[in-house]
Amino acid sequence: MSNFYRRWFWPLALPGLILFVAVVLVPFLIGLLYSFTSWRGTYFVGGSVWNSFVGWDNYARIFHSGKFLHSLVYTLEFTVIAVIIINVIALALAQMLDFVGKRVGLFRTVFFLPNLLGGLALGFIWQFIFQNVFSKILFGPSGLHIPFLMNMTQDATKNLFALVIMVTWQMAGYMMIIYVAGLNNIPKDLYEASAIDGASGVKRFRFITLPMLMPSITIVLFLSLANCLKLLDQNVALTNGAFNTSMLSLQILRTVRFTQPPDYGQAQAQAVVFFVLVAVIGLIQVYITKKREVEA
Amino acid sequence: MNHIMASGQAGSRNVRPKIPVGKVIVIVLLILFALCTLFPLLFLLINSFKDQGTIVASPMSLPSSWSFTYISSALEQIHFGRAVWITAVVTVIAVALIVFCSSMLSWVLVRSRTRSSSLILLLLTAAMLVPFQSLMYPLIHEFEGMGLKDLTGLVLMYGGFGLGMSVFLYHGFIKGVPMALEEAALIDGANIFRLFFGIVFPLVKPITVTVIILNSLWIWNDYLLPFLVLGNAEVKTLTLELYYAKMLSGQFSNPWELIFPAVLVSIIPVVVLYLFLQKYFIKGVTEGAVK
Repeated sequence: MSNFYRRWFWPLALPGLILFVAVVLVPFLIGLLYSFTSWRGTYFVGGSVWNSFVGWDNYARIFHSGKFLHSLVYTLEFTVIAVIIINVIALALAQMLDFVGKRVGLFRTVFFLPNLLGGLALGFIWQFIFQNVFSKILFGPSGLHIPFLMNMTQDATKNLFALVIMVTWQMAGYMMIIYVAGLNNIPKDLYEASAIDGASGVKRFRFITLPMLMPSITIVLFLSLANCLKLLDQNVALTNGAFNTSMLSLQILRTVRFTQPPDYGQAQAQAVVFFVLVAVIGLIQVYITKKREVEA
Repeated sequence: MNHIMASGQAGSRNVRPKIPVGKVIVIVLLILFALCTLFPLLFLLINSFKDQGTIVASPMSLPSSWSFTYISSALEQIHFGRAVWITAVVTVIAVALIVFCSSMLSWVLVRSRTRSSSLILLLLTAAMLVPFQSLMYPLIHEFEGMGLKDLTGLVLMYGGFGLGMSVFLYHGFIKGVPMALEEAALIDGANIFRLFFGIVFPLVKPITVTVIILNSLWIWNDYLLPFLVLGNAEVKTLTLELYYAKMLSGQFSNPWELIFPAVLVSIIPVVVLYLFLQKYFIKGVTEGAVK
């Protein structure tokens, strides 16, 4: 039996493996190599790859350039705020749906709707909402007059929150669905037992819901962290990086446009740092939340 | 939760059952949240029927007439027919490629427990941590060298980049599929293709639906990869058409009478599909997460 599978292993595995090697593995390894060279996209300074080695120069330069560091910090700030807000709202929505119980299909359908649309399409709509509806009608001098919510796309700090509002609006429904599934998996007799023991709502949330929900929390945190760190489309659509609002993805993309000749070596060094950042944050988060998961 | 409600009403047993106040409050809150969620979409809808001046002057008002002038000119400007066709073809072929490759690959990875199979699985799952940005330039460079900086290359790139998550999903699912059926089929003399397409593939249908939905959503809406591969070429995907429609019109003079209807028509296909298949979308997202 196992001989049979072993005989057919390579023929069946190869189509996928070839794709994976060609599209992910090789470009990734080449990218590591190129981050140490003066790569200009179409040629290497000095002729060949091996003659254009500059050691850690690209890395030194990106950490000395204010732009990269700024986008790094900007991305981290955005991610921390967005992940917290997305999770709180998604969990609150899931709890409310769970509480209402039956006939929540319509709400689920509506809350998931924004996920169907690409970040670019949504970004264009929200750009108009922030620039006109927020600034002139809702929160303008003739409306509620909240200066912080006016002209949000023309200031780095305000834009950070504009992005948070938009991304929360888009992702909360997706994460809510994962939380709803998690809540459904919690055995109801745990709540019944605690009600008999006289536990308050807060206590039940703290000592039953949260621990039993840990597997969902692991997944939702991972997805929202990864999505926020890598955010690009919404950033492009809302400000296209103007007013110092480039996140890392956009910064990497624009480096080759704003250097003359296009400095792909430097962009690639940023990309490698970006990978390390995403991988380290992702692994640490999964490690920490996995440890807190309990068996049902 | 119901216990609390029940004990709260125990005192008023003789009165006819009241509608629980807590539930009403929560439902009202949910309705408010739902309206906030729908607002930008309704806003998009009403502004797709207005001219530039009206959109900017009174964005919240209903259009004075529901004429399709702006929608039809947007359809034309973003080459809607061609763009939808191209996007659909790219999405369908790429997703088919992902399903075909990752289901077979995961199956043999589960069934043959060798050192190479666990190394391959490790590599594939680790690749999920690699952001696309960290390999995009070498990837485009490599494919350009192979003469594949075109739609074919785009499909192959999606195929390769979608593999990690899909193999992860299939692998988790196939582990729970008993081998008995496969053994029986083998004894009956089925060859490898009969075995895979006749027995295994139908068994893993639930996770195939998940893989299809998650990958389709991503590929259909993707902006960056088509931007890098196709750029401002003659034939573009829908998202790319939208991008250029906005960007080429200038950063500060946004022609909203083009953008709103263009965004509207570009999201209609997915929204319609979702409203018909929402059960599968929700199920796909849930199963994609718990595996």
